[in-house]
Amino acid sequence: MVTETETQTQTRPGNVRFMERLNEVWEDYLALWFMLPMALFLVVVTFFPGIYNVYLSFTHWDLTEPTLNGTFVGLDNFASAWSRGSTWVSVRNTLVFVTGSLLLQTTIGFVLAALVAGVTSRMRTIYRIGFILPMAAAPVALATMGQIMLNQQIGIIPYLIETLLPVSSPAFLSGEYSLVTVMLVDTWNWTPFMFIVFYAGLTSVPTELKEAAKVDGAPLWRIYAHVIIPYMKPLIFVAVLIRMIDLFREFGLVYSLTGGGPGTSSRLLSIQIFEMGFIGSNLGTAAAVAIVYLVFVIALCTLAIIKVDFEGVWN
Amino acid sequence: MSALTTDRKRQLKEVGRHAVLLSWLLFALFPFYWITTMSLKETADALAIPPEWIFVPTFENYLQLMRDPEFAYALANSFLVVGGSVLIVLLIGIPGAYAISRYDIPAERDVMIWILSSRMLPPVAVIVPFFILYNRLGLLDTRVGLTFMLTTINIAIVVWVMKAFFDGIPEALEEAAMVDGATRFQAFRRVVLPTAIPGIIAVAIISFIFGWIELVFSLVLTGTETRTAPIYMYQFIGSRQIDWGMLAAASTVLVMPIVLFLILVNKYLAAGLSFGVALKE
Repeated sequence: MVTETETQTQTRPGNVRFMERLNEVWEDYLALWFMLPMALFLVVVTFFPGIYNVYLSFTHWDLTEPTLNGTFVGLDNFASAWSRGSTWVSVRNTLVFVTGSLLLQTTIGFVLAALVAGVTSRMRTIYRIGFILPMAAAPVALATMGQIMLNQQIGIIPYLIETLLPVSSPAFLSGEYSLVTVMLVDTWNWTPFMFIVFYAGLTSVPTELKEAAKVDGAPLWRIYAHVIIPYMKPLIFVAVLIRMIDLFREFGLVYSLTGGGPGTSSRLLSIQIFEMGFIGSNLGTAAAVAIVYLVFVIALCTLAIIKVDFEGVWN
Repeated sequence: MSALTTDRKRQLKEVGRHAVLLSWLLFALFPFYWITTMSLKETADALAIPPEWIFVPTFENYLQLMRDPEFAYALANSFLVVGGSVLIVLLIGIPGAYAISRYDIPAERDVMIWILSSRMLPPVAVIVPFFILYNRLGLLDTRVGLTFMLTTINIAIVVWVMKAFFDGIPEALEEAAMVDGATRFQAFRRVVLPTAIPGIIAVAIISFIFGWIELVFSLVLTGTETRTAPIYMYQFIGSRQIDWGMLAAASTVLVMPIVLFLILVNKYLAAGLSFGVALKE
């Protein structure tokens, strides 16, 4: 048997043998070939910016005086970046923006999902589709819409508030309200995300589970607190985590709606970095903020993932 | 008597439920209505307060928009760059997800978190190093450069969702094919991939949406050659003489493809947006 196969192989031309060999290597190490492009790509996009930001933050990098670029300046960039009041204002704004938006979107999203899940008529589909559409608003388009609709003189929303309600409309885009306004606009934009994920979770809660609790005569809020929410916990955690990650990434909507202003009233850390690096042309100081921001966000998310290490998500 | 009151109570509750839901529906859809009608008004009426609720629609704003070759160019650029990045992210993400799902990968959980970490990096923090790198490589203001950066936004979502999707496809399917003489790769290509098509379409569309609405990378990396549609619009913001009617038309054009996409994938949206976790419930 063995000799027969060998003679067969020998009679075949070399290039066929080579192709067979290649095919074997391909099949035998399929997992490796499948992983390799992704892994290489991820090494570039995760490690490179982190390491290079560290390097940049300790060196002179100014687009307006490129001759000095690359010289080691110690902690100068950090000192310059973190001694500015605007940096600390943007830290505060970012924390307020992320926490506030997250709370609003999670609560509203959950309530809407619970209400829609209880609808039995055909209206259910209308709500389900209608509610997700705000996600379609691209930041620049949404900012344009916001500037038109919220404008104190010509905007429809102040007009409607003053016509329908017995109060005067707040000046949405003024320094006093701009941070709240961007939170509300983001909530309009992204509550759909929370809604759709929670809705999927709520409709997948086994009916027997709910029925059993109902038979016991438990009031609705107790069914939610003791049966439904514990059942959905992994999903709620993931939804909040993803939304939090994306809120820390936020730049486009706020930058094009208010530009971080008036003044620094709605300036987020992402806007601060952008202004330092690409408006102020100082990439070194921008990196000194960016690296802190990177480490903070990664640490926070990783901590959250490790802390709430539950089944479900991983298997 | 008591049966009647419980009936009344239930009815009242239903009325309350629909009142809340209808108000939110109005709130969610009103901006779309407003911006669309505004794009169809004459410039003089567009910003009238009190608003002109009833008007004769005109397509003048859209015609004007289409006459601007820069807009068409930016729109085409957006489709090219975002489409290209979706193709790349699928090509590298799907095989990776399959390998993680089917093979024993050491420290699988850590690998998954590492993949997710690519999404955690705030784009504005990532772009500074890439700006300098691109400057050296001559990749600023090129489609290739922007396509690459857009891919980074979606790699995590593609791998996470597709892994969850592959986890849900029984391995017996491939084993059966392999008993019939197929190799592992053939089993993947001819059996697993076709089964996963709904997931692939959903994740492709979601990736397209995230790429389409992206702003930081395009703001920093593009120039006149590669300006995308959001950047085309961005240049009008803040300028003194804004043609609001035309801007409303541009907004509508920018948003409408995504509205269609969302309706198309609405069934898979939860699974896709929750990085595949909702798929396991």
